[in-house]
Amino acid sequence: MPIQAIRTEENLVTEEPYYEPVGDEIEVYAAAYRNQLPILLKGPTGCGKTRFVEYMSWHLQRPMITVACHDDLTASDLVGRFLVKGGETVWVDGPLTRAARNGCICYLDEIVEARKDTSVVIHPLCDNRRLLPIDKLGELLQAPDEFCLTISYNPGYQSVLKDLKQSTRQRFVALEFDYPNAEKEQLIVEKEAPGIESAVAKHLVKFGTMTRNLKGGGLDEGASTRLLVNAAKLIVAGINPVVATDTAVALALTDDTDMLKAVHELSRSVF
Amino acid sequence: MSDESRQNFLNKIRVQKDLEQATGSVIERHGRGAELVSKFAALDRVDQDFIYHWAGIVSESNEELAGHFVNRAPSAFESMDQAGVEAWLIAAMDQFDNQGLGTAIEALENLQDFSANYALRHTSCLFESVATFLQHFVKGLGGRELQIASDRDTYTDTEKLFLPDSCNEHSEYDLNFSLFKLTAVHLWAQSWYGTWRYQVVERLIRSEDPGAITAVFNRLECIRLDACIARDLPGLHRQLESAAYRSEEHRFAWQEWRDDAFLLTGSSASALDSVALIADFISRPLPALKRYQGDVHLLAVRDAMFARVEREKAAMKQALAELQKALEQATEGDSDDTSNPKNLGEFSLTEDGESGSGGDVQFELSYDGEPVEMTPELEALLGSIMQDFGEVPDDHMAGINPSMYPEDLESDGAGQLGATQGDELSDAITYREWDYTRQRFRDAYCLLSEFDVPTGESGFVEATLEKYQGLLKSIKKTFEAVLGESKLQRRQSQGDDIDIDALVEAHADFARGHEMSEYLYTQYRNVERNIAVMFMVDMSGSTLGWVNEAERESLILLCEALETLGDRYAIYGFSGRTNKRCEIYRVKRFDESYTGEVRERISGIRPKSYTRMGVAIRHLGHLLNMTRARTKILITLSDGRPEDYGGYKGRYGIEDTRHALLELRRDGVHSFCITIDKEAQDYLPHMYGPANYAVIDEVKKLPLKVADIYRRLTT
Repeated sequence: MPIQAIRTEENLVTEEPYYEPVGDEIEVYAAAYRNQLPILLKGPTGCGKTRFVEYMSWHLQRPMITVACHDDLTASDLVGRFLVKGGETVWVDGPLTRAARNGCICYLDEIVEARKDTSVVIHPLCDNRRLLPIDKLGELLQAPDEFCLTISYNPGYQSVLKDLKQSTRQRFVALEFDYPNAEKEQLIVEKEAPGIESAVAKHLVKFGTMTRNLKGGGLDEGASTRLLVNAAKLIVAGINPVVATDTAVALALTDDTDMLKAVHELSRSVF
Repeated sequence: MSDESRQNFLNKIRVQKDLEQATGSVIERHGRGAELVSKFAALDRVDQDFIYHWAGIVSESNEELAGHFVNRAPSAFESMDQAGVEAWLIAAMDQFDNQGLGTAIEALENLQDFSANYALRHTSCLFESVATFLQHFVKGLGGRELQIASDRDTYTDTEKLFLPDSCNEHSEYDLNFSLFKLTAVHLWAQSWYGTWRYQVVERLIRSEDPGAITAVFNRLECIRLDACIARDLPGLHRQLESAAYRSEEHRFAWQEWRDDAFLLTGSSASALDSVALIADFISRPLPALKRYQGDVHLLAVRDAMFARVEREKAAMKQALAELQKALEQATEGDSDDTSNPKNLGEFSLTEDGESGSGGDVQFELSYDGEPVEMTPELEALLGSIMQDFGEVPDDHMAGINPSMYPEDLESDGAGQLGATQGDELSDAITYREWDYTRQRFRDAYCLLSEFDVPTGESGFVEATLEKYQGLLKSIKKTFEAVLGESKLQRRQSQGDDIDIDALVEAHADFARGHEMSEYLYTQYRNVERNIAVMFMVDMSGSTLGWVNEAERESLILLCEALETLGDRYAIYGFSGRTNKRCEIYRVKRFDESYTGEVRERISGIRPKSYTRMGVAIRHLGHLLNMTRARTKILITLSDGRPEDYGGYKGRYGIEDTRHALLELRRDGVHSFCITIDKEAQDYLPHMYGPANYAVIDEVKKLPLKVADIYRRLTT
C-alpha cells in the first residue's frame, strides 16, 4: 500500500463554489496564474479569501491543496519526510511537494503563523526559478507551469513578531480583500444562508456596518461577512435575530462588557 | 368551610406558630397580633423564612429590636425586594451597634424614606454607568463622532450629546436605562438625519419669536426623525414607540399632529419641510414632549456649527489645494515651477448612485473630469459637511488659492532662531526632512539637540503607584504570564520527551546508512525575549493638563511592568519649534537602569511647544538602530497630528512623518502609535499602516491601555 496522506485528484473542486467578485480579482488571478506568478491575498478575517481560492481552483480546473499554517509548521512538514515501513524507508511528499509535482494550486493560509524556516522552501518556488529543493532526496523539483502558490495574510494582526518579511512579500502579486459593499454583502448573505428574508439580510448587513464603525474605538475588528452569514443561518433555523447576532457576532467579537452591551443594543436597533 | 378558606386558616395557624417560635413570645389571636399574622400569611414562604432567619439573629443582640423588625418587615416587603429589606435591617443594626436601641428603632420606623431612597438608587440609571456604553453605541450608529457629556439640560450642539446625570422616570432600572439610550438616539438622529442643517438653523435664528418657533419645530422634527428611524432601524423604532408616551391622551395628541404633518413621514422630507410647516402648527396647543425628547438650544447649535463650518471649509480648501498641487505636479513631471497658477484644473463632486439615507452618502471626486482617489481624511470631512448642509456647497469646492499652501518654510523658520538658543545649538545634529510637494529631501534641514528632562516633583511617582496599586498588580501578572509562557521546542539534544517526528526521521536516516541526528527530544522552555523598545513621548503644548498627566502615569506603570519583563527600553520626549529648534528630551537611555532619577525625570515631563514628528522619529530610530536586538519597536504616545511652525502641518507634516517611518521600517524597526486624538483614524493608517496604531477614547484609560497594547504587541 503506498503511503500517501492526501490524494491530489480528490482535491479537484468539481462544483462551482459561490463567489461574488468585488472587482477584477478573478481576471488578475487568472493572469497571474497564466504567467506563473505567485499570489498573496491580504485582508481581514472572514472576508472571503479562502472562498476565492476555491473558486479560482474551480475556474482554472486545477486541484487545490490547502495548508492551514500554525506556529509549529516547519519546512519538512511542507516538503515531506522519510517514514519507516517494515525496516525500509519510504519517502512521503509533503503538501507543497505534491502540489508542485502535480501542478496544483497550493494555498498556504495565514502564512505568518508558520515557522520562519518555511521561507527557505517558498522563496525559490516564488521567483522565476520555480524550484523546490528537496535535500533529503537530493532532488531539485522544477514546478510545472500549472503549479501556483497562493498565500494569505491578515495585516490586521498587531503583533510585531508576526509580520511578513519584505523578501517574502516582494515575490508575490498581491490582491487586497475587504468586506464587500452593503448591496453585495446582502447578496452574499442571502446566497449563503438560503431562506433568509431579504429585509432581514439587509438589516444584518447594516448591523455589520455598525460594528465596523466601532473598529479602532474599542473593537479590534468589526463583524466579518462570515460572522454575518453565521448569524443569518441561525436566523433561518428559527433563532430570534437579536439572539442570533448576540451569539454569532457580538460574543465572537469582544469580551468587554460595555462593548458587548453596545453591540447588543445596536443589534436590537436594527431588528 | 370551603377548601380555600380552610387552606387560609391552616396557613395562618402555621404562620402564628412559626412567629411565636421566632419571637419567643405568644402572639395575640386578635387585634394587632391577628393583623400581623394575616400580613405574614400573605408573604411568600421564602420571604417568611428570611424574616424568621434575621429575627433570630437580631434577637441575639436585642429582642425588642427583633420585635420591631418582625412588626415592620411585611410592610418593608411591600415596597422593596429582599436585598432592600436586608439593607434596611443592616442599616438599623449598624445604628444599634453605634448609637443604641433608640436610634435603631427610629431607623426601622423610617421605612418609607429608606425604601424611597433605595428605589431611587436601585432603579435610576446613572450617567456615569452608561457613558462608555453610550459612546460606543452612538459611534456604532454612525456619522460624525459625537461626544457624550452630562448636563442639566438634554440637548445637542451637533458635536456633543448632553444628557442628564440620571434617569429615574420609571420604577425599573431596565426601563430607565432604555430611556437613557433612546434619548441619546433621538439626539444622534438630529445630527444624522439633518435637523441642524445650516439653512435651517439660520432661518430659525432669524425668526421673530425663536422660543415659540423652536418648540413647534422640535415636535415636528420628532415626527420626521421617528419616521426616518422607522425606515432604517425598525428595532429602535419599536423601542421609541413603546417608551414615548406618558398616557393615552399623550399618544392621541401626538397622533393628531402626525396625521396633520404626514408630509414629514415621507422618505424625501427634510428639516426644511418641518420649518415650512411651523406656520400651520404655531397656533395649535403643543403636545407635551415625548419622554425621550430633549430641549433645543439653538444658540449652542449655532455656535458649534458655525465654528465647525468655518473650520471644515478651511480644512477642505487646504486638503483640495494639497491634492491639486500633487496632481499638477504628477502631470507636469518634476517641474519646480509650482507657484505658477495658470492652467489649474477644477474639482467636482458627484454623488454615488448607491447613497443611503441620512449622512450616509458616497462621493466620487474628480479633477478636470478625471476621477481622483480621496484620502480618508477628505471622506470624513465630506461626510461631516454633508451632515451640516445636505450637500457640499460650491464655495467649499471653489476659490482654492494655489499659493496659500505650503507656506514659505524657510523664511518663517529662520526668523525664529533666536540668539538665546545659540549656545546649545552648537552641538546640534542635522537631519533631513521629506518635502512631499517637491518629492525630495531637504538636506540638513532640521537642527536637533538633546536635553535631559529636568527632574520633577518626587511625590508624583509614589502617588501614581498608590493610585494604580490594583491595576499595577494585574498588569504585572499578565506580563509575568507572557514571560512564563513556555513553548514546546522540538528537536532538542536533551529534553523531557522523545520527539517522535525527529526519531522517525533519524531512524530513516539510519536505515539508509546516513548518520543519525542527535536532536531527538522535545522540551518545554521559555522562549528568550530579545526586544528593544523606544518610547517616544509627545511633549507638545497641546498635552497640557490631563494628557500630560496620563502620559506620565502610563510611563511609570509601563516601566514597572517592563522591569518584570526584562525588555530593553528607552524613553525620550520630543517637541520643538521650527526646523531650527527641534528638541529631544532624554528620560531614560537604553543603557540606563530604572533608577530613582529616571522616575523623577518621568514626573518632570512637561508640555513644551510643537510637534515636529519626522525629525524626532529619525533621531530616535537612529538610537534604536544602534542597540542590538532581534525585534526593535518604536512606540509613539501622542495626542494629535504632526504640527509645527513654518508649514509643518496638514499633509506636509503627515507625509514627512510617514516617510520617516518608512525609513525606519526599511531598517527593520517596527513602529506603533498610541494616540488619544479622536480624528486619528483619518491619518494614522496612512502614516503607520493599517494595524499599527491604537486610538484610546478616554485619557483616563491611557495607563491601562498602554501596558495592554505593549503586551499584545510583543507576544
